[in-house]
Amino acid sequence: MGDTEVKNRKVNRNKNKNEKNKEIPNPAVDPRDEGDGESTPEALPEELTEEPILKKSASPKKSEKKQRKAGSATAGQSLADLPTLAVTCHFNLLPMLLFGVALATRFYALDQPNSIVFDELHYGRYAGLYQKQTFFFDSHPPLGKQLLALAGYLGGFQGDFKFDKIGSSYNASVPVFAMRAVPALTGSLLIPLVYMIMLQLNYSQWTAALAGFLFLFDNALLTQSHYMLMEPIILFFAMSGVLCVLKFRALERSGNAQAHSYSLRWWGWLLSGSIFLTCALCVKYVGVYSYLLGLALVGHDFWEKVLGNLSLTKKQVFGHAVARFFAFFVVPLMVYIGVFYIHLTTLVNAGPHDSAMSSAFQASLEGGLSSIVRGQPLEVVHGSQVTLRHAHGSPCWLHSHAANYPVKYADKRGSSHQQQVTCYVAKDINNWWIVKRPNRTDLAVAAPLDRISHGEEIQLVHGITGRNLNSHNVAAPASPTKQEVSCYVDHNVSMPAQDVWRVEITNREEIGDVWHALESMVRLIHVNTSVALAFSGRMLPDWGHNQHEIVGDVMINQPNTIFNVEEHRYTRNEDEKDRQLELMTTDFIPLEPVVMGFWEKFFELQIRMLFISNENVQNHMYTSSPWEWLVLTRGIAYWVSPDSNAQIHLLGNIFIWYSATIALAAYCSLLVFYLLRQRRQCFDIHEEAWNQFRTTGEVLLLGYVFHFLPYFFVDHTLFLHHYLPALAFKLLLNAALVEHLYYLTRLVFAKQFFNWMCVLIVLTWMSGILMVFNKFLPLCYGLGPMNATQILDLKLRETWDFIVHKP
Amino acid sequence: MPKAEGSDAPATAASRSTEPKSKKTHRDTAYDSGKTSTGLWWTLFGLILITTAATRFYKLDQPDHICWDETHFGKFGGYYINRTFFFDVHPPLGKMLIGLFGYLDGYNATFAFEKPGDKYEDYPYMGMRAGCAIMGALLVPLSFLTVWEMTFSLPAATFAGVLILLDHGMLTLNRYILLDPPLLFFISASVYTTVKFHNQRHRAFSFPWWFWLSATGAMLVGSVAVKFVGVFVVFLVGFRAIADLWEILGDLSRPVSYTVKHFMARALCLIALPIVLYMGIFYIHLRVLYLSGPGDGYFSSAFQTHLEGNFLHNASTPREVAYGSLLTLKNSITGGGYLHSHMHLYPAGVGAKQQQVTTYSHKDGNNRWFIKKFNKPTPLWNSTDSIELVRNGDLIRLEHRPTRRNLHSHKEPAPVSRKHYQVTGYGENGTGDANDVWRLVIEGGAENEPLETMRHKFKLVHYLQNCVLSTTKKTLPKWGYEQQEVTCNPNLRDAAAVWNVEDNRFPRLPNVSFSAYKLNFFQRFFEAHAVMFSGNAGLKPKDGELTSRPWMWPINLRGQFFSAGEGVKIYLLGNPIIWWSNLVFMAFYLTLLVVKSIRDRRGIISSPHQKALQERALSACGWLYIGWLLHYVPFWGMGRILYFHHYFPALLFSSMMSGVVIDYLVESIPPLLPAGIRNSAYHLLVGGIVSSLIYSFYLFAPLTYGMSNGPSTEANSTMYGMRWLETWEF
Repeated sequence: MGDTEVKNRKVNRNKNKNEKNKEIPNPAVDPRDEGDGESTPEALPEELTEEPILKKSASPKKSEKKQRKAGSATAGQSLADLPTLAVTCHFNLLPMLLFGVALATRFYALDQPNSIVFDELHYGRYAGLYQKQTFFFDSHPPLGKQLLALAGYLGGFQGDFKFDKIGSSYNASVPVFAMRAVPALTGSLLIPLVYMIMLQLNYSQWTAALAGFLFLFDNALLTQSHYMLMEPIILFFAMSGVLCVLKFRALERSGNAQAHSYSLRWWGWLLSGSIFLTCALCVKYVGVYSYLLGLALVGHDFWEKVLGNLSLTKKQVFGHAVARFFAFFVVPLMVYIGVFYIHLTTLVNAGPHDSAMSSAFQASLEGGLSSIVRGQPLEVVHGSQVTLRHAHGSPCWLHSHAANYPVKYADKRGSSHQQQVTCYVAKDINNWWIVKRPNRTDLAVAAPLDRISHGEEIQLVHGITGRNLNSHNVAAPASPTKQEVSCYVDHNVSMPAQDVWRVEITNREEIGDVWHALESMVRLIHVNTSVALAFSGRMLPDWGHNQHEIVGDVMINQPNTIFNVEEHRYTRNEDEKDRQLELMTTDFIPLEPVVMGFWEKFFELQIRMLFISNENVQNHMYTSSPWEWLVLTRGIAYWVSPDSNAQIHLLGNIFIWYSATIALAAYCSLLVFYLLRQRRQCFDIHEEAWNQFRTTGEVLLLGYVFHFLPYFFVDHTLFLHHYLPALAFKLLLNAALVEHLYYLTRLVFAKQFFNWMCVLIVLTWMSGILMVFNKFLPLCYGLGPMNATQILDLKLRETWDFIVHKP
Repeated sequence: MPKAEGSDAPATAASRSTEPKSKKTHRDTAYDSGKTSTGLWWTLFGLILITTAATRFYKLDQPDHICWDETHFGKFGGYYINRTFFFDVHPPLGKMLIGLFGYLDGYNATFAFEKPGDKYEDYPYMGMRAGCAIMGALLVPLSFLTVWEMTFSLPAATFAGVLILLDHGMLTLNRYILLDPPLLFFISASVYTTVKFHNQRHRAFSFPWWFWLSATGAMLVGSVAVKFVGVFVVFLVGFRAIADLWEILGDLSRPVSYTVKHFMARALCLIALPIVLYMGIFYIHLRVLYLSGPGDGYFSSAFQTHLEGNFLHNASTPREVAYGSLLTLKNSITGGGYLHSHMHLYPAGVGAKQQQVTTYSHKDGNNRWFIKKFNKPTPLWNSTDSIELVRNGDLIRLEHRPTRRNLHSHKEPAPVSRKHYQVTGYGENGTGDANDVWRLVIEGGAENEPLETMRHKFKLVHYLQNCVLSTTKKTLPKWGYEQQEVTCNPNLRDAAAVWNVEDNRFPRLPNVSFSAYKLNFFQRFFEAHAVMFSGNAGLKPKDGELTSRPWMWPINLRGQFFSAGEGVKIYLLGNPIIWWSNLVFMAFYLTLLVVKSIRDRRGIISSPHQKALQERALSACGWLYIGWLLHYVPFWGMGRILYFHHYFPALLFSSMMSGVVIDYLVESIPPLLPAGIRNSAYHLLVGGIVSSLIYSFYLFAPLTYGMSNGPSTEANSTMYGMRWLETWEF
């Protein structure tokens, strides 16, 4: 290897010379280039001979850091011919050692504090709901929660604990250790993973160990791995995926790529890469950025190595394209659907978030709505008593109550002063309506059933007040451009009732023409004015009890005009008083449950997850913006002990975070510098070093950008822990840059002295990191009684808001 | 470096001379089909000019009432004429131009512009409309010339011009007193000048080179200073400049200093010059508007002292605040009101039934508070005790002057924001309890620094609860007279928790004039921006409100009524033929790009003619596509309320792109046919496209020029049968 490097250099230099003859050279750089090219090859053997001696002198166990120092000196020199034994020994020892320390830190006092920490409130609760097989709605995919639930199940969790608020103590029924072991284990596995990633990027094992060191001693990663949170899991999957993709790339880029194609290893790395990346996506949707990174890397290689390889026939290229398409589109889709299949087939009981879903979905769950709607008649007929639910978007039911629209609104417009019709978000007795044919007066349902079909005209009678749903050419209360909907009251002002509505079933291809409860999606078209009954999205003021406005809208074809019958029964009594009594007292005979197929449920859940964001934590105290993450302006309070100031606060190791930010800037400036110089045909570093530097950019810088940039464009509340995936790439970049800088020092300065200086600086830096880590360790574990001074002592920045509630 | 021959050839030819005559030379060499002559060029250009003028000015005075947002921009334009200060979320240039057009027409800014639908009657509104219409009309020749400079293909330029000319959306939007005509004008002018500049690259540092470079800079300022969305074209020009510099840097026959020279020239004309011009526009804006007006309340107290007629103008108060002073406290966030209380209690069920505390944006006797030490009663104004100044870190109480209750907070949820604590007025005759004590913390103040009127911003931290006095800007229900909620926020970093003393009365201290607080131009400049940005961010759609979303725009899903009342109806909607084919052509471009890249990658060689054609189309489309992306994609990430008309800058790019793609198609399809019918096929294609465009324009013309009343479902309607999509609302 040493030989080839020397050769490379010569070639390089010659090339440089040729090129430089043509142009005006930059005098400052040129001589340096020359002198350096001569000196380094000579210096190389010298150093190599020194290395093994050094290594022997260092006792292996005690001065692990010294070893690293010595090793990193070897590292940059492309490690020519060290004794094979030594290399393998280190290879095994270093990551094992790091992994050991990782396990120790992650599992230390894992069941402490024995109370709910931060988002354990949600994730723990979801894990509990899995035990009870109770349906819940969350805007993130379920894989992470499933893993927690599995651990809980194995630990004997019954799901009986009520996760009420942050800080309340767990009782014995919650296997805290088992559940926290999932993030702790994945968080620990990260460290050997990043070690291998760095090796795969052609960095020395010392650099790889440095990367592991940074991950190991970052307080934020430790804190996050210590509790039931999703980030360690997602990071574990993402990093495993990246590693597999890199392994795959290595096969693609190796000399005999052809021979490897479609081999077992080839398929293994490709498929495991895409599966891991999809798993990351199945924990939280932000995992999609890792997936995109993998896709970009594989796509890039395809472009370069397969499409650009003219020795391949068209057929071969096509085969490769299909294989990659299969691995990166078909397989992920299968994994994703599989995860949801488990989710939906496990959660069969009705639960707290049912109302986010459609009536049909709710009815398919045990308990809940299904117990109410079970056995209710399917076909809506003349005389049906129904509740009409706004089918898309925010759930509410068509409602009326014994109060009229005010004569004049605040903006001085007049109203019809008829009875209000609203959309009400809660189940209420006033949500009941009776379906009636315009020409019939009796209401009790008797055989033969008078079914209502698509296109037929009906009237809707409000159950409690007995008034008819009506609309007319009067401006609606909150949306003056729309038409008012009321329950008709005859004020004797020559305003006749216009209370006939036409039923339009929008999904009659699937359901059929007859109006079915739950399943039929219905529009009610006002016969006189051709407007559709619609939910306007606006809220009525006090006089309307802040319920939602219902209007007649000319825009018929929009989701807000679609309603469906949710609860349904047939009228038995003619007498109005009896009918009202009937409405008040409900009594049902169970018949058969509604069955909803997996695919229907899957697609409905997807749509609700993507389009309904339920995380509107406005004005949360610990929010932060992406810019602030770069310099660690704010942390997040996770937990505080009730009897002292001991607390858990998510904060990164500020020393690591700052150096990583600086490293990022340095890497970018170097990249720009090299690119500009190369544009002028000046090649400052060896081709090998440049390739390594470039690959680093392709994987790590791109990974960082993918995971960081999108946060500038999202509109919901952001917290520090959203930064962790990006941080992971940044830490790797930091380690990579250290090796590159070391390489540059050797390139510029011939003297051994400077190498030692470098190593010394790195060592000092590392001990600084350890000191800071140690200082903030109490905030990770929340251990020990702490007084106010101890806490305030940690407040290095004015903006860190620790909780001081005891003296 | 490898250089695209196709893209280079036309440019070199062009650089020889800008006169159309010599353009013929390169056409002969490259891919001429012998169809272009100078005469034809001028004929087509002239035809387009005439048609543009005809379509833009036809029935310009109709409807003779306020349409849509004219109510805002007409009013704002008028404020420049009568010098009244106002607030708008957009920078001033567009409104200044509207004001100028009105002024030239003799408009004296007396019309109220109250609400859409109001008749103009005798007020001269045509000046403003015509001014805007002229700016809007210029889009057509500018697009023609831009595409010409990019491709030197007459059909491409003509199609681009015609696509913009015959689009109803562009036409409708550019005929009214709105910001869009100037905005679109400046955007397309920026693109034109930058393309023109690019074509001067073979004679760097010549006069035309400098001219077009600085013209680009000037046009960029124009776009940004009309609306902030104009910044996207700045990015486009910036990318172009970087790409140019990259090319220059790669030219090894020149020294590096040559690149530096180029860089400096661009920095001068595209960065320094625009900044100066932009500041200049604001300087004029702030100089011209010197009278107090409806916008005052959005600005800080210090800013208001500049405005003649504002009660803070030329007023005077003691500089420092002493115990016993009578104060009004203003919230420092944009549009923040005064701390207010009144003789009404919180209703039952809303925390403790104590006196309400709110913020109120009008000047009122109920905004006055005495400041006193936490452990002493209010000192009397006529006492002879030594005067004690209020200092940073002091513990204080605030006593509401009319009701003599203390500002108080306690652990009850606030009326609307349940996570905050309630703030009330409590106690009798100035005696309260320990929950009335607040600590005064001056922002960035030194220890024990005395509190100064106006200049200092401070927070009031509740001594026992450790929360800050803050306003949530949420409107209280009727019982609170729809004033804004005041709470005590446990988040001490709440941006809305900053207050300043506006009025300070204490006869024992000497008064100083408010002119001492005057801001310099830069402070006012930055404050105006802070206010604009927070105003923009505040334009959020309300919960559940049906808003226009970006995905609806390119497919022309839903328009916007400009005039919906009695009489003529105007509906802003794109020409569906143009909009939908724009999408098809864009897809075609992307396919062509992918296919060509793969073919190049696989080493498949095309015929030189085909290659030249493709490269010409692809290089022009590339930049236009980037322009389209830059003007469209960012809207997906915007949280503010969006409207249909936000798509029009992007449409400009996609229409020009379609022009180029159509040209590519009509040039490359006929050669595939047998030789005998090639020529006629060419003419048939061109004729077919043009006539279908014209016919579609004719069909939908009533959208722009006024539809009859009544729904389009009726047979006698002018739009009978034209409602192709159910979402179109006419």
